[in-house]
Amino acid sequence: MFKNLITESTAKSPWLFHINSGSCNGCDIELVAVLTPRYDAERFGFKLAGSPRHADIVVVSGPLTQQSLPRTLRAISQVPEPRCIVTIGSCPQSGNVFKGSYSVMAPLSKYVHVDVAVAGCTPKPEAIMDGLVQATEILKEKRKAWLEAKKNGLKDGPKAETEQEVPAAEDVPASGEEVQQ
Amino acid sequence: MAIVYSSLVYLGYILIFPGFLFCFVAGMLITGIDRKIVAKMQKRVGPPILQPMYDFFKLMGKETIIPAAANKTVFLAAPIVGLAAMVVIQLFIPVISTPILYGTADLIVILYLLLIPALAEIYGGSASGSPYAGVGLSREMVTIIACELPLVLIFLSVAKTVGNAMGTGLCFSLSDIAAYQAANGSLMLKASMIPAAIAMLLVIPGETGNHPFDAAEAETEICEGMLAEYSGAPLGIYKLTHAIKTFTLTALFVALFLGGIGTGIVLLDALIEFAICVVLTIIFISLVHAVTARLKIEQLFKYYWTAVSAIALISLVLAWFGM
Repeated sequence: MFKNLITESTAKSPWLFHINSGSCNGCDIELVAVLTPRYDAERFGFKLAGSPRHADIVVVSGPLTQQSLPRTLRAISQVPEPRCIVTIGSCPQSGNVFKGSYSVMAPLSKYVHVDVAVAGCTPKPEAIMDGLVQATEILKEKRKAWLEAKKNGLKDGPKAETEQEVPAAEDVPASGEEVQQ
Repeated sequence: MAIVYSSLVYLGYILIFPGFLFCFVAGMLITGIDRKIVAKMQKRVGPPILQPMYDFFKLMGKETIIPAAANKTVFLAAPIVGLAAMVVIQLFIPVISTPILYGTADLIVILYLLLIPALAEIYGGSASGSPYAGVGLSREMVTIIACELPLVLIFLSVAKTVGNAMGTGLCFSLSDIAAYQAANGSLMLKASMIPAAIAMLLVIPGETGNHPFDAAEAETEICEGMLAEYSGAPLGIYKLTHAIKTFTLTALFVALFLGGIGTGIVLLDALIEFAICVVLTIIFISLVHAVTARLKIEQLFKYYWTAVSAIALISLVLAWFGM
């Protein structure tokens, strides 16, 4: 009885958790612009959550520095299913102007499945909004796929997208240590 | 047979009206209207009025993660205990005229029941083993203590005024208070009760943990404090409890100060009560939310124990001298 209601609600109430993985603050400002009165993402139900446990959509900005990568992945793995990952800007996609640096680990799609990638340096608020709305549709699809799998006998639903091994924070060499390429 | 019938009736009271279902719809609508009005005041379009319902049902469908450091039983039981206590309060509050459960000390029972959701949150938060929850629960305790003193003074002054008229000293029974107001007009119209009514309206946002008194669950600062580790259905139940609390406290205000305006038809009375609750929420929660910034916990404490308590005390003194 409530299954359809829950599926519909999943697309209407996406809460965001924002991770800055070494971003230059440009994309972060644009994300704030999306949430503030001018673009007001709350009219679609978007809300900025303080804790990854409350989130549905993880918004990642920045070129994934070596220090922030394990923490980013750890934060992402704390978000309950169904979840979506949206990257903002060119940095998490390719490394952008930081590509080739010894400490830049982009792209993010090497480590986790990225659902929506909004390109641009920085993307316009309209583009970010579009990406987020697309992510809500994907959330709904994921919920449906989960229900389908449950019907077919998988007790816990399908495992989340096959995640690569998350390097533990301790594995990352402390700053100052020599990094082997 | 009679026992079966009467227990079915009570089950109906608890689950449908004025219990769970009524609370659920009323609380969710009030929270939705509150969010919409705040958005309008900030020149935004704002979420749809049904947004809290979408949030609730979405959280019901999410995965529930139990942290490795948590005590599983307390972690999962706390939200349900809080919700149950919140629904029970609603049975004590008369819908304008007649409560479902009544006795000689309703107000004292309500005072204790109001504590349970906050305490459940504290237990749940401390069971989650998160440092954010630790900060949040210590602030929540201060908030409870801060709001308790003015609330007790308000209840005492109402009890004294009605008790004087009834000749019983102190009258803590909400059905007697409702009967007194039906006979003599609302307490709000009595000059000596106006300060108590104002104090009650100032206590409501503090009790519900709304802006600017939300130091305990400052989401930008300590990740919603005690709720930091919660996800999925338990989080949804906490959000529901918060929504119902807003409705309960405004309904309690209506029962204490605006009684005696009912028509006698229960459904119509419920609608009138709900309409008044919405107006009170808009003025004393949404407006305050839109124009203020968050207070520090010691400022909150000082505010409630000096200004608000002093206002409530005026009423108590006046009531004590029989005015």
